[in-house]
Amino acid sequence: MSLINPSDSLERQNEKLRIIAEALMRRVEQKTENSGLAYQQFERAALLETEVSERTRELERTLNLLQESNARLEIANFETETARANLSEAIETINEGFALFDPDETLVLFNSRFCRDIDDITDFLVKGMHFTDYVELISRSSNLSIPNNQTPAEWAKRRLTRHRHNHVVFNVRLSRNRWIQVSEHRTARGGTVILQTDVTEIMRLERQERDNMRDQQAKTLQATLDHLNQGVCIFDQNLTLVGWNKNMDSLLALPPQQAVHGLKFSEVIELLHVELTFGEGFDLPSLERWAQDTNKRKPVLFELKRNNKEILSVFAQEMPDRGFVMSFTDVTVEREYALALSEMNERLEQGVRDRTTELGIALAEAERANASKSRFVAAASHDLLQPLSAAKLFLSSLATHLTDTTNLSTLQKAETALVGVENIIEALLDISKLDAGKAVFRVQPVRLSAILGPLSDELTPTAQAKGLSLTIVDSQISVLSDPGYLHRIVQNLVGNAVKYTNEGAINVVERRDGESVWIDVHDTGPGIAPEHQKMIFREFERPELSAGEPGLGLGLAIVERACLGLDHKLALTSEPGKGSCFSIQLPVAPTVQIPVEPTKPTPRKNGKVLEGAIVLVVENDEQLGNALAQLLEENGAEVLLCSRTEDAKALLIEIDIAPDFLLLDYQLGTGHSGVQLYQDICVTFGDLPAAIISANRSEELEKTCAGLSLPLLPKPLDKQVLLQQIEKGLRKQPAP
Amino acid sequence: MVEDFATQSGVLRTAQVTWTDQAPVTALRTSLGDTPLQMLALFVTPKADFSAIVAEAAQLYPDTDVVACTTAGEIGAAGYEDGIIVAIGFPRADFASTSLLIDDLANFDPQPSMDLVASERVKLQEKNLDKVNSFAFLLVDGLSLREDSLIAKISPALRDTPLFGASAGDGNDFGKTMVALNGKIAQDAAVLSLVRSRYRLKVFSLDHLVATDMRMVVTDADPERRIVRSINAEPAAREYARIVGKDPEQLDRFTFASHPVAVRIGETHHVRAIQQVNELGELVFFSAIDEGMVLIVAEPKDMASHLRHELDGLGQDMPPANIIGCDCILRRIEAEQTQMTRDVSEIMAQHKVIGFSTYGEQIGPLHVNHTMTGVAFYDHVVGKETPVK
Repeated sequence: MSLINPSDSLERQNEKLRIIAEALMRRVEQKTENSGLAYQQFERAALLETEVSERTRELERTLNLLQESNARLEIANFETETARANLSEAIETINEGFALFDPDETLVLFNSRFCRDIDDITDFLVKGMHFTDYVELISRSSNLSIPNNQTPAEWAKRRLTRHRHNHVVFNVRLSRNRWIQVSEHRTARGGTVILQTDVTEIMRLERQERDNMRDQQAKTLQATLDHLNQGVCIFDQNLTLVGWNKNMDSLLALPPQQAVHGLKFSEVIELLHVELTFGEGFDLPSLERWAQDTNKRKPVLFELKRNNKEILSVFAQEMPDRGFVMSFTDVTVEREYALALSEMNERLEQGVRDRTTELGIALAEAERANASKSRFVAAASHDLLQPLSAAKLFLSSLATHLTDTTNLSTLQKAETALVGVENIIEALLDISKLDAGKAVFRVQPVRLSAILGPLSDELTPTAQAKGLSLTIVDSQISVLSDPGYLHRIVQNLVGNAVKYTNEGAINVVERRDGESVWIDVHDTGPGIAPEHQKMIFREFERPELSAGEPGLGLGLAIVERACLGLDHKLALTSEPGKGSCFSIQLPVAPTVQIPVEPTKPTPRKNGKVLEGAIVLVVENDEQLGNALAQLLEENGAEVLLCSRTEDAKALLIEIDIAPDFLLLDYQLGTGHSGVQLYQDICVTFGDLPAAIISANRSEELEKTCAGLSLPLLPKPLDKQVLLQQIEKGLRKQPAP
Repeated sequence: MVEDFATQSGVLRTAQVTWTDQAPVTALRTSLGDTPLQMLALFVTPKADFSAIVAEAAQLYPDTDVVACTTAGEIGAAGYEDGIIVAIGFPRADFASTSLLIDDLANFDPQPSMDLVASERVKLQEKNLDKVNSFAFLLVDGLSLREDSLIAKISPALRDTPLFGASAGDGNDFGKTMVALNGKIAQDAAVLSLVRSRYRLKVFSLDHLVATDMRMVVTDADPERRIVRSINAEPAAREYARIVGKDPEQLDRFTFASHPVAVRIGETHHVRAIQQVNELGELVFFSAIDEGMVLIVAEPKDMASHLRHELDGLGQDMPPANIIGCDCILRRIEAEQTQMTRDVSEIMAQHKVIGFSTYGEQIGPLHVNHTMTGVAFYDHVVGKETPVK
């Protein structure tokens, strides 16, 4: 609501405003006629009140601050008092004399023990006295025992010199043989703290202790000397006997100790030399000269013989005080032992020499025997494989002539039997190589599918025949291993599983384990008892459980040795009645593409793949040679069969025809090899397609053949491989 | 219905009786108990025979300073009451006091009074070093028109002693207000009590009004009689009615209670309460006024919640054991008008407020209206033996 009533006329409004203004102005000028004293007082009081309350607040703040600082001051005072009281108590509690001089060198504080032993000055010690006055006071005290060559003033001067150091500790001698130790320290603020400790008792004890110790040492020394297994005698710088031990008595049969004490060296010698004779290189005059020598004596060692029986080793050495010590050791027994030892040593050495010679001979014999064995195993395997190879070839040719199913079945069984024998021999050969450390591992990236795929094909029929389910993982992983041995390992493991499992399933799975992969072969076979789990890896050993199964038990021996050689971990978990799982751990190959070998379609030209080709076969095993010839001829080839190098060369010269293919045995009797023959023929007829067949699995031969680009077909020969190889060679040969 | 009531717990001894009691002070004495009292304050309803009561009290309490006044209503154990006599005893063990009668206020000569107050104050303090808490309590004739001058003069003599006080009332009649000290009844007079106590105490003043922007100028006044003749050059009552939006013919104490006016001095405002409209259409005030004074219309906040908040504030550290409250009659009227009487009474009862309704309140050097002034006592001995931070 406004000051002015809007319903009023303007004149009235003006009038009112004028009156209002007038009233306000009067008020401002404090000119009210009517006494407004009460209100003015009120107004002034109110204004004042505002100011006062502000001031009061300020005052209260100030008062609070003052109170706080008073409280702090009170606390500080209290703390100071407490500290002072504590300090006094503390310095009174300590067992030493204590005094504090301030940085101006005046005495501030001291306890009742301070200077207590210098009792004629204690009355003069007062707070505020100067340090030099204090020193002066002490220097004149009758209680102070000043060294004879010093005056009190000199003592005081020396004392003040010490005072200049920041830390100093010294002993002060008082009358009646009392001692105090004074230690003086400069405080951080430049004052000086003096501590006085009564050390009289300590000094006394120390001295007593020192005397005791000397006695004790002498006793200990004598006991030590007596304890020695030698005779010892000690002469002082005047060549007087001052010490010896009991052994000396018995060694030299000296008179009783008391009597000899103080004897001169020459007298001792005189007493002794009746019984003694000097050994080589030293004599009595030399000894006397040594003893009398005024220069520094070098140690001497000599021998004495007593009564021509006992031998004494004598060692004489100068001591720091120019006296010397001599030790006498009875070495009679030692000398005898030494002689006996020397003789025995001689005998032993002879024995060792003889034995070494014998061992050398035995070693040479063993080496010879070992070499013979290796040769024998290789040769035996070779010789066994030759006829086996022949037998197989004969059987396969026979198969083509048989029509009667019964006969064919019999033939089939015979082939299977032969394959079994072949496997055993192969295994034996492998074992002998692995054992002899001659196996060569070619570790390279291998696609697991390349190993596992064929195995599946190979073993599925057998498994199905037994009513087992065989599942082999289709792995995409490549590993680092030797493909041949890896195939062998997995084949043996899976083969074993199939062999020993009568019902259920074989599962081959892969299991990644970081940088490696495990191949697990699970079976549902009888399982292997823990006590048998080691044994199964030994050749020719099989748990009784599997006694009914065929085989020599070489498979796992090969697996174990090959894994060892390839550094593949091999593991077995099995429980009787619950099946087994053999696992091998293979390192995963870095991911590089391994070219997939295109699977070559095997051409089958109705059995006549070699139609018209002339094949020279040189094979010194007659049976194998005949078998080969028969096989090749059945496939349409003309075969020139020879058993010796010379025959082959002569035949070629005679007929003067370059054969289309050379099939040469590597071992062609002493001094002859198929490789050599191949090179000879090439000289005459130029390069001809050829293949070497051999039971020799050495790396050396492989290298040689590879160097000549000459295919090497291992015995026993695989019919298909052989035929494919010849076909391949024929294709390369330009048409004649 | 008013019950006699007394409580002897806490710091003070308090009691009340209805005015109809034949020997009210005797009854009060029974309630107050035998504790020797240093001082006894009686707030007497105008319905009672003031002189008889004062005489009875002087007789019954010969060794006690008995101060008394008439009221415009009482505050008893149940809050706002009417027709009772409230007694407040200050035990001698815990309190020391000096009471002075200042009469003939119309011809008040300030200097001797100031000197007397100052010397009595110092004397009391020196005699009672163990009673470190002090206050001054003023009871003044509520129709003397001299409160402003009186208090402005004597308060400097009190130095740091906080003062509160009240103008004695006469119900709603504005006829005759009285104060008394030790049997002597006076008008145009005041009783000043200087009190020291072992107990912690706090003097307070509560004001629940806020200023609005409605202003008016006093253009003609009779300051001596606290009469404003004209406002904004119009007859005062009519113009006040226009400003606050009321019918000039309907102005009554309820209007004045709900539309109080105040002056602004510095940052604060002080209510100048209107007592009544006289037959000339002029406004009679409860406190000093002057020409050229700018009056601001103030608005009351919610009285009950404000009171609760303020009294709770007094009990922030520990609830007061007793509170003496001098409550402006306009607050009682306002509470009545806004139907808050019961709430306000309950709040005062909860906070152990006793006292009376006044024609004006004093706080420090100021005479104000429409407030509650008082003192709160805490059951916590503060003395030199137990220094408190």
